[in-house]
Amino acid sequence: YRDLHTFELQAPTRLIEWARGSRVCVAGYGQSDGNEILQLIPPPTLLTKETQGLCPERDFKVECGGFSERPVYSLKYVPDTSLLVTSGPPDSSLQVWQVSAEDSDVIKSVSPIATENGTGQSWAKIATISARAPWVLHGSRLDRVQITEIESRKNVYTAAPGGSEELSSLAFLDCNTLLLCCAAGRLCLADVRQPQSLVEAVSAPLAPCSEQWCMGTRHGAQGLEPSSQPVARLSSRGLLTLTDLRKTSEFLALAKARVPSPGSGAEFLCVSWAPALEGCLAISGFDGTVHVYDTQSWDSSGREAKPIFVHKGHAFGGAGGSGDPPLVTVHTWHLQKPRTLLSAASDGSLHVWDWVQPCGKC
Amino acid sequence: AGQDVGRSCILVSLAGKNVMLDCGMHMGYNDDRRFPDFSYITQNGRLTDFLDCVIISHFHLDHCGALPYFSEMVGYDGPIYMTHPTKAICPILLEDYRKITVDKKGETNFFTSQMIKDCMKKVVAVHLHQTVQVDEELEIKAYYAGHVLGAAMFQIKVGCESVVYTGDYNMTPDRHLGAAWIDKCRPDLLISESTYATTIRDSKRCRERDFLKKVHETVERGGKVLIPVFALGRAQELCILLETFWERMNLKAPIYFSTGLTEKANHYYKLFITWTNQKIRKTFVQRNMFEFKHIKAFDRAFADNPGPMVVFATPGMLHAGQSLQIFRKWAGNEKNMVIMPGYCVQGTVGHKILSGQRKLEMEGRQILEVKMQVEYMSFSAHADAKGIMQLIRQAEPRNVLLVHGEAKKMEFLKQKIEQEFHVSCYMPANGETTTILTNPCIPVDISLGLLKRETAIGPLPDAKKPKLMHGTLLMKDNSFRLVSPEQALKELGLAEHQLRFTCRVHVQDPRKEHETVLRVYNHLKGILKDYSVQHLPDGSITVESILIQATAHSEDQGTKVLLVSWTYQDEELGSYLTSLLKKGLPQSTP
Repeated sequence: YRDLHTFELQAPTRLIEWARGSRVCVAGYGQSDGNEILQLIPPPTLLTKETQGLCPERDFKVECGGFSERPVYSLKYVPDTSLLVTSGPPDSSLQVWQVSAEDSDVIKSVSPIATENGTGQSWAKIATISARAPWVLHGSRLDRVQITEIESRKNVYTAAPGGSEELSSLAFLDCNTLLLCCAAGRLCLADVRQPQSLVEAVSAPLAPCSEQWCMGTRHGAQGLEPSSQPVARLSSRGLLTLTDLRKTSEFLALAKARVPSPGSGAEFLCVSWAPALEGCLAISGFDGTVHVYDTQSWDSSGREAKPIFVHKGHAFGGAGGSGDPPLVTVHTWHLQKPRTLLSAASDGSLHVWDWVQPCGKC
Repeated sequence: AGQDVGRSCILVSLAGKNVMLDCGMHMGYNDDRRFPDFSYITQNGRLTDFLDCVIISHFHLDHCGALPYFSEMVGYDGPIYMTHPTKAICPILLEDYRKITVDKKGETNFFTSQMIKDCMKKVVAVHLHQTVQVDEELEIKAYYAGHVLGAAMFQIKVGCESVVYTGDYNMTPDRHLGAAWIDKCRPDLLISESTYATTIRDSKRCRERDFLKKVHETVERGGKVLIPVFALGRAQELCILLETFWERMNLKAPIYFSTGLTEKANHYYKLFITWTNQKIRKTFVQRNMFEFKHIKAFDRAFADNPGPMVVFATPGMLHAGQSLQIFRKWAGNEKNMVIMPGYCVQGTVGHKILSGQRKLEMEGRQILEVKMQVEYMSFSAHADAKGIMQLIRQAEPRNVLLVHGEAKKMEFLKQKIEQEFHVSCYMPANGETTTILTNPCIPVDISLGLLKRETAIGPLPDAKKPKLMHGTLLMKDNSFRLVSPEQALKELGLAEHQLRFTCRVHVQDPRKEHETVLRVYNHLKGILKDYSVQHLPDGSITVESILIQATAHSEDQGTKVLLVSWTYQDEELGSYLTSLLKKGLPQSTP
């Protein structure tokens, strides 16, 4: 490590979202009522480019917070507004919140966005964009995907039915293109301007037993065509596929991560690309570790890949041996510092770490 | 002002008693603004009459720095309460600060050494968990607060109303102190520090690791490390940390602790070993944790010795004294390092170098070039939001009041406390008065006879539900008693009044009076089957104790007037009878 900071949140979080002004947002997902949404100001050490060893302000500060009556499973800020959207069980409706840090330190609840609740619907996955207007893309299943304009609550897009599989995540590739990832592995593309078209981009890779998948998209540097960035998919068995959306007939790369088997479920599966390192991605959700891989050496053979770094901090955290070992719930990359990541685990720990590139590579 | 700096001084009025909590000095100001404005307390300035006592929570100057000014210059002769370690260490810190302010800075409007001594004569030292009677009605009790040696949280009680003041406290133990603890005393109000409530702290392990790394690196390359400290508190913590590290890594470089103030401090820590945490007390028998193997007393000459070393020196902000002397000697060498322990007041050398200044003007217009590395660390031990919630959970107050340095927006924490504990939470600004309504319980003695009688009436009492009883409340000479009405009358020498109501009911009946009476009697007998209805020889009817008589109307023979008369106790039956009779008599009566 070059640097490691460990913090303890009052309640564990399964999301870490970046907000304007380098703020970080976390939220509780516990069963009972009284979950908190916290918008944090990171310590100055994390905001500067150079690492300072000792610094007076080494702590996160809670800038503002809100109280949610339901567990918060997903949270997304709405760009160019002071709003954020959350979702969580028991149904697929969305909660909208207003953040006004200058006036008050309470994140206020604004009226929710209701959705029609069919049977067996779980919580909605969400993505936001503010291109034509502040929009939120949401849905828990492939046939329930829609885009709602936040201010007017109008439905501006509904995806054509293409199956009733559950979704694991969705994203805006640009202001017109949507990418949907099904839990079973399928990737579908849709164009907002053509509501009837829902194209299966990549089918689910064949697998002997059912596994869950999640995806990670990369927002490349300005000017780059978003669909030129490869999409990574991670399965609950540790399989990783990289696909170029322009050439979906074949995998760019296929590899297997060394993960404990059987996986402890797909609840917290997370794969993400490094914003400032070419070809680097991180995975977590199998145990108390976060793996970092360099995909530039990968091919389509499906061989086991060796991580270039493993963060084990969360596994050692915990209150010595009481109960289950902590499970990493989410991780995210720092937007400017190339090798800094933030990760959270089920025991409430929040780690910020900066790893050293092993010798021989640059 | 910054988070570490402020002055604490809170005035509480409880059941007619006035208590002052802490008397701090603001280190950021150089004029009278550094002292609290005592004119807030009372306009006529006679503080000794107005205040019942003053309580000091711990020896940090922002909690006790203005005490000599308050007691000797403004004027207060009443009792001042603090724990034993605080009483022992306070005067040392006060004298040190006085020396620097007056001797070095040449200030005039400041308290003198004699004033400090006179002030301390008014101090009454208390033990933990000892109930101290300030006067007949006011009592106080100290609880362990962690934070620094001798820091305490105080419970102030008058009758059954109480307030708990936390001062500065810490809910997590550290290397030499335990965590704060209080019992479920259920005070009407808990006053808590909340300056660090919004921070989520970096783990101690990481801070310590970084600190040790820096020290180690410097020493390994032959450099010298200067750590200016405030003498007490964190200094001991860091000593233990370095001692353990040196032992583990088998390091040979010397560590020094500068003389004077800090030696006395170590001496006091040893004396008050019971105030430290469990682990230290346990190992004390085998080895005194404050007797260090690797840490020795410093001599001025050592600063010129070649080779690596670590020196703890006072004062903490490099504003004068030994630490500044050493700093001047070592500043020019880039292999050396100075690690500043905490907040530095503006104007001090410490503040300047932390702001990045590398050329300092010293006395005699000499310029000092600072080439040594400047680092900053903060190991402050205050409760964060989680800690505050823990304390509230332990004490179970009915109301919470949060004290904070600046007028920060703390709406979120206020809501959090209110939602979780269903209590009211207040956060007044400096100079603001908050009034909290309490529901005091007043104990009343009930006479045995009354208790027995009342519990015998009605259904069997349910243990969980309140039972309504009737009695007479006698208030005499500050005692409250509940007795039966008869006993009350007897005791007070009063006779019981009898109230009798009479009502006239007009009934149309041309017959003779005795016939009307008979009609009424038969009518009532038929209806009131469960009651005793009697026809007396003198022509009147009784229903239980109610009397009914009939007379002819003076002007109209066809109308009879029924007099219905009853006592207050039979009010209900009486009104019922009256309304019944008003409805008229049935025609067909034999």
